[in-house]
Amino acid sequence: MSWITNGPLITVQVMSGLSVGMLLFLVSVGMSLIFGVTRIVNLAHGCFYMVGAYLMVTLVEVLPDRAWTFWLALLLAPIGVALLGGVIEMGLLRLIYHRDPLMQLILTFGLILVIGTLVLLAWGPDNKSVSRPDALAGSVKIFGQPFPSYYVLVLALAPLVAVALWLVFYRTRWGMLVRAATVDREMLGALGVNVAALYTQVFMFGSWLAGFGGALAAPTVAVALGMDGDVLTTAFVVVVIGGLGSFAGSFIGALLVGLLQSFGILVFPAISIVLLFALMAVVLIVRPWGLLGRPEP
Amino acid sequence: MTPTRWLGLLILVLAVAPLVLPPFFLQLLTEIAIVGLFATAFNLLMGFGGMVSFGHAAYFALGAYTAALLVKRVGIPLLLALPAAPIVAAAGALLFGFFIVRLSHTYFAMLSLAFAQIVFTVIFKWKTLTGGDDGLLDVWPPSLLKSPAAYYYFTLVIVGLSILALHAIVDSPFGYALKSVRENPRRARYIGIDVRRHQLAAFVISGAFSGLAGGLFAFYNGSVFPDFAYFTKSFEPLVVALLGGVQSFFGPLAGAFGFKLLEWLISRQWPVYWPLFLGGIVVVVIIVLPSGFVGLVGGRLWRSRSAAKA
Amino acid sequence: MRIRLRSGMPVVAIFTLVLVLLATAGPAAAQGKPIRIGEINSYSGLATVYTFPYREGLLMAAKEINDAGGVMGRPIEFIFRDDKLKPDEAVKAARELVGQEKVDFLAGCISSGVGLAISAYAKEAKTLYFATHCQTSRLTWDDGHKYVAHTTNNVNQYVRALAKKASTLPYKKWAHISPDYEYGHNVWDEFIAYLKLQKPDVQVMQENWPKLGETDHSSYVTALLQSNAEAFISSVWGAQEIAFVKQARPFGLFDKVKFISASVGNPDELDPLGKEAPIGAITPGFAWYDDGMQKRHPKLAEWVKKYQDRTKKEPTLGASWGYASAYIIVEAIKRAKSAETDKVIAALGEGYEMEFPWGKVIMRGCDMQAIPPQWVGTVKMNAQNKPVLGDIEETHGKDVIKSCDEVAKLRAAAAEKKK
Repeated sequence: MSWITNGPLITVQVMSGLSVGMLLFLVSVGMSLIFGVTRIVNLAHGCFYMVGAYLMVTLVEVLPDRAWTFWLALLLAPIGVALLGGVIEMGLLRLIYHRDPLMQLILTFGLILVIGTLVLLAWGPDNKSVSRPDALAGSVKIFGQPFPSYYVLVLALAPLVAVALWLVFYRTRWGMLVRAATVDREMLGALGVNVAALYTQVFMFGSWLAGFGGALAAPTVAVALGMDGDVLTTAFVVVVIGGLGSFAGSFIGALLVGLLQSFGILVFPAISIVLLFALMAVVLIVRPWGLLGRPEP
Repeated sequence: MTPTRWLGLLILVLAVAPLVLPPFFLQLLTEIAIVGLFATAFNLLMGFGGMVSFGHAAYFALGAYTAALLVKRVGIPLLLALPAAPIVAAAGALLFGFFIVRLSHTYFAMLSLAFAQIVFTVIFKWKTLTGGDDGLLDVWPPSLLKSPAAYYYFTLVIVGLSILALHAIVDSPFGYALKSVRENPRRARYIGIDVRRHQLAAFVISGAFSGLAGGLFAFYNGSVFPDFAYFTKSFEPLVVALLGGVQSFFGPLAGAFGFKLLEWLISRQWPVYWPLFLGGIVVVVIIVLPSGFVGLVGGRLWRSRSAAKA
Repeated sequence: MRIRLRSGMPVVAIFTLVLVLLATAGPAAAQGKPIRIGEINSYSGLATVYTFPYREGLLMAAKEINDAGGVMGRPIEFIFRDDKLKPDEAVKAARELVGQEKVDFLAGCISSGVGLAISAYAKEAKTLYFATHCQTSRLTWDDGHKYVAHTTNNVNQYVRALAKKASTLPYKKWAHISPDYEYGHNVWDEFIAYLKLQKPDVQVMQENWPKLGETDHSSYVTALLQSNAEAFISSVWGAQEIAFVKQARPFGLFDKVKFISASVGNPDELDPLGKEAPIGAITPGFAWYDDGMQKRHPKLAEWVKKYQDRTKKEPTLGASWGYASAYIIVEAIKRAKSAETDKVIAALGEGYEMEFPWGKVIMRGCDMQAIPPQWVGTVKMNAQNKPVLGDIEETHGKDVIKSCDEVAKLRAAAAEKKK
């Protein structure tokens, strides 16, 4: 590991870690948002990521092969996922909002089984892949070290999304309603806001984010069955580390986890399987509500 | 029929089952009993203690590996090795629980998951002791207990005694204190109950019986693998208990019966697409049965839990 | 002590009665003429990319066998169960198949843990188990016994064939990237041992052990680039290897360090990679489309066409394994002139050879292990701009596999350890 003092290499590693972290942020913030407002821990969130990636595969195959194909697919895939989210929210989740949160959890667990099999039925068992658009297929030089161009896109796009999210939550009326709902939904309803519709919108927005994360990540990984499980666990850990319901927490948590993946496996190679959970354990022992989470009532 | 008569009928049915049922069904019932014990122990924590753990597989696995290693590597007979399972599991629960009970809700659940994954990793990587992901093979009960009927009776006796013990705990002053902690921790503290100690005690007892279930399972299965500690195993008692009904002491047993039976029937009917049907049924059950399987019977005797705690 | 029972009890009682009624209804299928083989494999989730084609091959062979009159006039029938990738579920399925469905034999597995668990059960239940898709050498060697046979490749053979090819390359400094579990360790240990045997001046520059299912390999890529290795071997497979290749390419890894892989030549990895495929990588694979292969094996094209007509897809290595497994099982029964376990074990113990459209498979008697042909090729782009394997070099497993004596020593050593 002599290269640990190699400045350019470290820079490239950090940037890789941040890219991975950014993709993770997109998924995690959606999960945190849904929990913050509806108090549902959506275990099917990983499935939304997976469906976003699979939709990306299909769209790229089906659309004519032009320079704009990738970008159009990137735009459309998350919308498909948002629609799926809307259907699930209106058709199923609405029926159980008054229930014990644990029952809601188990329902979303049942959804994992259902959606996973539907994906198998729709796309078959084969591994799939989305190629990076030609313009971003190569690499750029950072201090003389090669760095994948696609990650530059991710590093540019994800913070833009983060800023856009911040603007939505802190500068729009809808965002204000969402934030109010995380604090006191009953009051919000009493003030005449259609809370049910707000829930649907939030759920769809959260699903959109997960789908976008999946679509954007697709060219960097394999699109295959089982990709939902891995991202769910990681996103859940990120959300918990950052603090449930905290937007900034998700951001910081995602960056930490991304960097951990990048460097941790070099510093602690023997325990790469459990590094993520070890980090979470350490954070929770020191800060019982996650880094920026609020104590629950 | 009074509850006692129902109990009598059940015990009778279970006792004569080996005379009527083919060996495979005895094995299925054995597994149901083990899962029922695991879920009931888990529910001590969840239903009665109000604490949801995502990492109970750790204690199950600790129990399974302890019993298996003692019999295989050290050569201790099963009857002596089995009691070691809940002891080691309880030790693990005490160690981890100390940190875990300081948290609540989702954070509690996730830290318990983190510790379970750590246990998994230790088992997975410590190949020389545990066999790693090759597992420990040829872990069978002694010839006296090897036949399906014999191990069935053995399991029923141990599970039965454990259920009695757990019931006694739930019905004791400790159990009532635990329930009051679940309902309103602040109030419980005001009347002098040491909240943390009660929670930790519940955690340890729950872990111990989970370990016992693990030990029984090791010899039922014939082999132990690291995935006994993986989080997917942790979800089993959770799903089973919730489907069965967490408010009832016997809910998890009903859930174990119903869920395992359903799972088996669905898997053999649709070897490829069974997750679709199982997941679909879980969704339907949640929507249609607010109190789980036990809600199907005896609405009058039912005190349904008040709505959202959020 | 008074037991206060809530309404949970009646439910449990009712359910028990239900179970009794169900049970006394009897086993699902009647016993009788067919020879029934209980097949346990991973038919849900991420393994389906391998098990679906495997099952097609198996059923295609079964149909051929039954159309030709079956075995001793009896048709063969496969009864499938999903192991959910869990060894304890596999044991449960095995128990049901043997105890309830009364199958004559057990078969199947893709995950090594599952294969070993079923094997342990089979030994206990004294039922013959034909391990199929899983690859661990432990099945018939370290943990072998008379109730388990292995109808396909094992890690020892194909990794040694790959190592043999690797030893002809001009590289002395090697690194590797292998998933941190039994299979990954198995492949690396076999590879480096055999490579050093053929080429003693080989140096190991770096070891990389990502967790199984890792999604981000960028730090491993960077490490490999800094390792000063001339070549590296990867036993990362499936979706993980696709991700690895996609992530490594823009870093220019494959231009700097020669890429040897244990599995990238399989269509489940090459096809999705498409234009991102690692051209020039050396890897084993079932390249039925290769002209050289078809010339050496004239019956191959016909078999492929039959498979394509049946499934509308192209065959994979797994499909050939499913096909071969069915025939190997049937051949053992034919030679035993009986479906009785002990007689079939005796027939297997004598060993036999079979010709398949892709070459000769030897079922070795001393360990009931199959020894098929081995192919190693190089990844290239074909005329349709699709990545394929070319320059296929064929050897036979028998030229590299551990000998019966070595196996006996291995079994003795393993038995000692268990004491």
